[in-house]
Amino acid sequence: MLTCHDVAEQATDYMEGATGRGRRMAVWAHLRLCPNCREYLRQLRHGVGLARRALAEAPPPAEVEDALAALFAARRPGPAE
Amino acid sequence: MLLARLRAGDQAAFRTLVRARHGRLLRLASAFCRNRASAEEVVQDTWLAVITGLHGYSGEAPLAAWINGILVNKAKTRAVRDGRMVAFSDLARAETAGDTFEPERFLADGHWAERFSPWDALTPEREAGDRQLLAGVAEALERLPPAQRAVVLLRDVEGLDSAAICQALEISEANLRVLLHRARVKLRDAADRLVRPR
Repeated sequence: MLTCHDVAEQATDYMEGATGRGRRMAVWAHLRLCPNCREYLRQLRHGVGLARRALAEAPPPAEVEDALAALFAARRPGPAE
Repeated sequence: MLLARLRAGDQAAFRTLVRARHGRLLRLASAFCRNRASAEEVVQDTWLAVITGLHGYSGEAPLAAWINGILVNKAKTRAVRDGRMVAFSDLARAETAGDTFEPERFLADGHWAERFSPWDALTPEREAGDRQLLAGVAEALERLPPAQRAVVLLRDVEGLDSAAICQALEISEANLRVLLHRARVKLRDAADRLVRPR
């Protein structure tokens, strides 16, 4: 029987599908019986989502966009080349 | 079709591409570079290569993946040239040493020493409106050790697949998962502190 500590150590492997079948079943069985570990894994997943949203795209500054657009206009090899 | 418009020299299409990709490229570059200025230069070089390479690009790989590939190569070339890149295999070794969890977080029998209370207050609406929370999480990301930060940026924020990340950073899959795990544990702890004291 896995302990909470075992499950906590393997949480990412489990979430990434990187555990073997036996291990996977053991973690799954622990999670069924342990609400505290279920909550912990839920929060680990939520943390990943938060990281993604925390770095949500900001559009580039207008001057950067303009400079790149100018490069594009100047350097683009035309189909005739 | 974006690619056809780009090849035809459509300015609006190029601006659309820049708006969609620039921020992500900067984040990708910042996974490799130690400072913002060199990350910005790598991104600039990448755009130049994209512009000049558009006609040679086969269209086989998705456009975003092709651009990401160029960026990774630019970041590495630059690293070799000026030695400013982080050596990930060495960092990975250092950052995976020791324990993931402080021993006091578990009781002697392996149970958690703490009880996790749900982040119930963290509804999507509140989260979206809570700049302080998101800024706090972004700061926590910045504070991660460099290899942990890189894998979390590449895997969790950018969603690259693990094989591509291992190849780009020259680390093993096992290393990748340990780094990712440690980063996620820290991010969860940081988020927990941000959610709780209100």
